[in-house]
Amino acid sequence: MPKCLVCYKWTLDEKDIKIKPEDLSLDVTRAKGKISDFDRNAIEEATLLVEHQGGAVDALTYGTTAVKQSLKDVLSRGPGRVYWIGDNSAAKADAYVTANVLAAAIQKLGTYDLILCGEGSSDSFNQQTAPRLAALLGLPCVSFVLKLSVEGGTVKATRGLGDCTEVATVKGPVVLSVLGQINHPRIPSLKQVLGANKKPKQEIKIGDLGLAADKLQPRAVPKFERGFVTKRKNIIFKEANAAANVAKLEAGLATEGLQ
Amino acid sequence: MPGIFVFSEDAALAKQLLTPALELKQALSQPVTALALSETDAKDLAALGAEKVITLQSATAWPEGLSEAISRLLSSAGASVFLAGGTLRGKHIAAHVAAKLNAGMSTDAKSVRIEGGKLLATRLHYAGLALCDEELSLPAVVTIPPRTFAPPQAAAHAGTVETAKVETDGRVAISDFSQAAGSGVDIGAARKLVSVGRGFRKREDLKLAEDLAAVLKAEISCSRPVAEDEHWLPIDHYVGISGHTVKPDLYLAVGISGQVQHVVGARESKLIVAVNNDEHAPIFESADYGIVGDLYEVLPLLTAAVRKNGGR
Repeated sequence: MPKCLVCYKWTLDEKDIKIKPEDLSLDVTRAKGKISDFDRNAIEEATLLVEHQGGAVDALTYGTTAVKQSLKDVLSRGPGRVYWIGDNSAAKADAYVTANVLAAAIQKLGTYDLILCGEGSSDSFNQQTAPRLAALLGLPCVSFVLKLSVEGGTVKATRGLGDCTEVATVKGPVVLSVLGQINHPRIPSLKQVLGANKKPKQEIKIGDLGLAADKLQPRAVPKFERGFVTKRKNIIFKEANAAANVAKLEAGLATEGLQ
Repeated sequence: MPGIFVFSEDAALAKQLLTPALELKQALSQPVTALALSETDAKDLAALGAEKVITLQSATAWPEGLSEAISRLLSSAGASVFLAGGTLRGKHIAAHVAAKLNAGMSTDAKSVRIEGGKLLATRLHYAGLALCDEELSLPAVVTIPPRTFAPPQAAAHAGTVETAKVETDGRVAISDFSQAAGSGVDIGAARKLVSVGRGFRKREDLKLAEDLAAVLKAEISCSRPVAEDEHWLPIDHYVGISGHTVKPDLYLAVGISGQVQHVVGARESKLIVAVNNDEHAPIFESADYGIVGDLYEVLPLLTAAVRKNGGR
């Protein structure tokens, strides 16, 4: 019966981020938090596994103090317990710092058969956490998983690599990253949401992880972030008469000199 | 002696990596070393300006299994920059190397340069909503997506080639390798694309798009759900943040709402045309021309109009 740990990130929902036209800076004031998209797939996959085979799923997150908002959400999605590190160092953390913090926390928590991450986060999409964690913990890593099964202590994972697939077989403990296509994350039921209130939430203080100051010093620092804007003509035909619209579009395409 | 290292298991991409590597060489005054998986690739890279190419000889054909060996090689060589090909395999390897070198890493950089002794990489944030310049202290690891750079011209003097026997990760066994059922069509190289989305009600209806593509001499691409959820088209046909980034002369999006995750893959197209029944679909913000209407009505008319005008 596998003991699973899912690492997740609480990110801003990019749908609610607006680009300010005057300076192309990002307006995040209306953006709500969410559990990063592919991390939900990781949570769902571990939960499905444990629902079928028994075992346990814990969740682990590192974020700013705002990460507290995620705890009930994550627990309503299946995990039986969540460990959280809420520290404002996370605001500037790059994948190096994040992996250092998560790896130190995992070493403190003990052994898990499977450590699962999403392929990449919805905000910075660095796609680094799983291989970095594996490197730091001295564990094998199977990344970009689209199908997963566990039998005894053996993990069989089909990897999706764009133009090909392959099957990786490995004895746990192992670190995995999952693709969005691995499953469809559940929408928690009312019962699951209410049940989340009763599940344990445990804070881990970053100071208790024994990390040297250098391990919390980001190596990649965002210097200049601006909205990506491309100028388009935005000539939209919306008459009721489809044939008229098509004729205008054809005339438009003719002026573009498409061969 | 510190140096700039490049690696991709994709031979074409490895050559492309030499272009930014040679630019960094100018700025850092450090030699470029390429890592290769075969003698043939090694010779090609040496001819294109790598001072030294090391052919990695190992017991496995699984590139990810070389992650630790590459980390050690770079660590003992005192690498200052590692440019890795931005395939999924390459990103896996690069992240492992970055962890072992205590280094920062920029994923999918569109450009790299040196400023004030640090490496600046430009990349996307929030699924393409924003661009960000990331400043990395050295040593730095960067992955670069395919076709970001053209390969360099042949160098005046070919570099040296040597081989190194390296250990592989024996903990992971790889089997059942399968090339995804692709059509052999390279969406990334197409000059025109008719791209289909969830606005189509069933697979058979894609015929409407195929008819239009035929008269336009275009290829068919799609949004992520059409490939991944519906399996109407092979997985190598989808355009978007985790799929293809395309730059055709014409990108005609049909029944695609245009979430940023999709648009990011198409917005470098010269001309974007959208057909959608929802006037408020975000795709129209990214389009040069658009028709608000039912694709089942619009596509046959458009196909007929293009055919009448002798194709376009």
